[in-house]
Amino acid sequence: MNTHLKIRADLLKAIREDLDRPHCFARERVGFVFANLSRLGEGALMILARIYATVDDKDYIDDPNVGAMMGPAAIRKALQLAYQTRTAALHVHMHGHAGRPAFSGIDLRENAKFVPNFFNVAPRVAHGAVVLSRNSAAGQLWLKASAPPIVISRFSAIGAPLGLNGVFQ
Amino acid sequence: MTRFSRQSFLGVGSDEKLTNATIGVVGLGGGGSHVIQQLAHLGIGGTVLVDPDIVEISNLNRLVGATPVDVAVKRQKVEVASRAVLSLNPLARCRALQDKWQEVTDALAECDVIIGAVDSYIERNELEAFCRRLMIPYIDMGMDVHSLGEEHVIGGQVILSFPGGPCLWCLGYLNDRKLTQEAERYGDAGAKPQVVWPNGVLASLAVGLAVQLLTPWGRRPVVAAYLEFDGNQHTVANSNRLKVMIDRPCQHYPADQVGDPLFDLRLDPVTASQAEPAAVPSRVVRLRTLWSSLLRRFRRVSR
Repeated sequence: MNTHLKIRADLLKAIREDLDRPHCFARERVGFVFANLSRLGEGALMILARIYATVDDKDYIDDPNVGAMMGPAAIRKALQLAYQTRTAALHVHMHGHAGRPAFSGIDLRENAKFVPNFFNVAPRVAHGAVVLSRNSAAGQLWLKASAPPIVISRFSAIGAPLGLNGVFQ
Repeated sequence: MTRFSRQSFLGVGSDEKLTNATIGVVGLGGGGSHVIQQLAHLGIGGTVLVDPDIVEISNLNRLVGATPVDVAVKRQKVEVASRAVLSLNPLARCRALQDKWQEVTDALAECDVIIGAVDSYIERNELEAFCRRLMIPYIDMGMDVHSLGEEHVIGGQVILSFPGGPCLWCLGYLNDRKLTQEAERYGDAGAKPQVVWPNGVLASLAVGLAVQLLTPWGRRPVVAAYLEFDGNQHTVANSNRLKVMIDRPCQHYPADQVGDPLFDLRLDPVTASQAEPAAVPSRVVRLRTLWSSLLRRFRRVSR
């Protein structure tokens, strides 16, 4: 099944600007995109981004082994927002290069640990994780807490000009 | 020289962007038939062509590409349109769907841009709402001829309805009065006057907007447009209404109201089947299968 993540280009720009800000001890920042879903007939599962929630400075844990480690408050706030809005939650972070990014081994391990928890509060929708680069993206999507994730197959940034087919800015 | 070398000014990688793009065209009459011709010449790689009708004799004054033979054999308008696309671009990804657009929304959902050349306000309203819900830029085009005393006045408009920007309602093109009047006239519309050249002007404007959305050609990005055509004066002007509304957020389709708020993954059969991991046979099952296979072979040999 194809999956297609769409986001307004102005929202995507705001996300990149937020993730680019330095933090006092974390080497990178993270955040959450909340999205509605749609699927028509046999078509692709559309993931339509609505809002972005930044992770507060105080909600990071100082862990020198990883670029950024969220504390329990960050996860709790994201779970709360997913519950209140009944939306798909996508964890987002950014690698500072251009071109197609990839999750690191640590990313994959951590995503698998916490993303399935979102099904406890919002079981009607999918949840996942996205890694951005300066102009592209890659993502994983869980359709069920107990099943392995699938790859988000397409990304589109809805701005002028449209960011399609691998250009995500 | 290549086929597209004279449009290379559209920007770096524009050929590839146009080839990879998919544009939906809803309504393949006078306006839509001009649009698909231009999309094919430009090298748009994917088109979703939607119209429920067949070619009739009264279409031949304006339906570009249609012939009297198409009338005689009652050819579908989508077939005429796909013939035009594929004759210019045999490798195009062309989906010709003879149906109401409401019946083929899964195909339209895959489009990067949708151009609507539909007849009624009600259809425009529904098509725009569909596009907004799926964050698809919608370009609406339409022309009208009405009598003003002794004179017939030709008018038309092309509107770009971009997610988050002013919509057909914000721009005053749609309102409750128009929709109500049209609903009351339903089934009593009669044959609307139409001619070929205003459709050509409006289609060209619509295609120009689509190209600006897909390529880095325009230095100033266009995220809203309301172009008014005066067919008697032969002029096109920016609507004053757009100038007022351009910087205001759309109240009718707020940017965060997208997707299907009632969507439930658990009730979606395709998604549910994808979510199930492939069954991996356990060691015991594998050994049992192997043992059964050996036993069957042994029995065959011993007979």
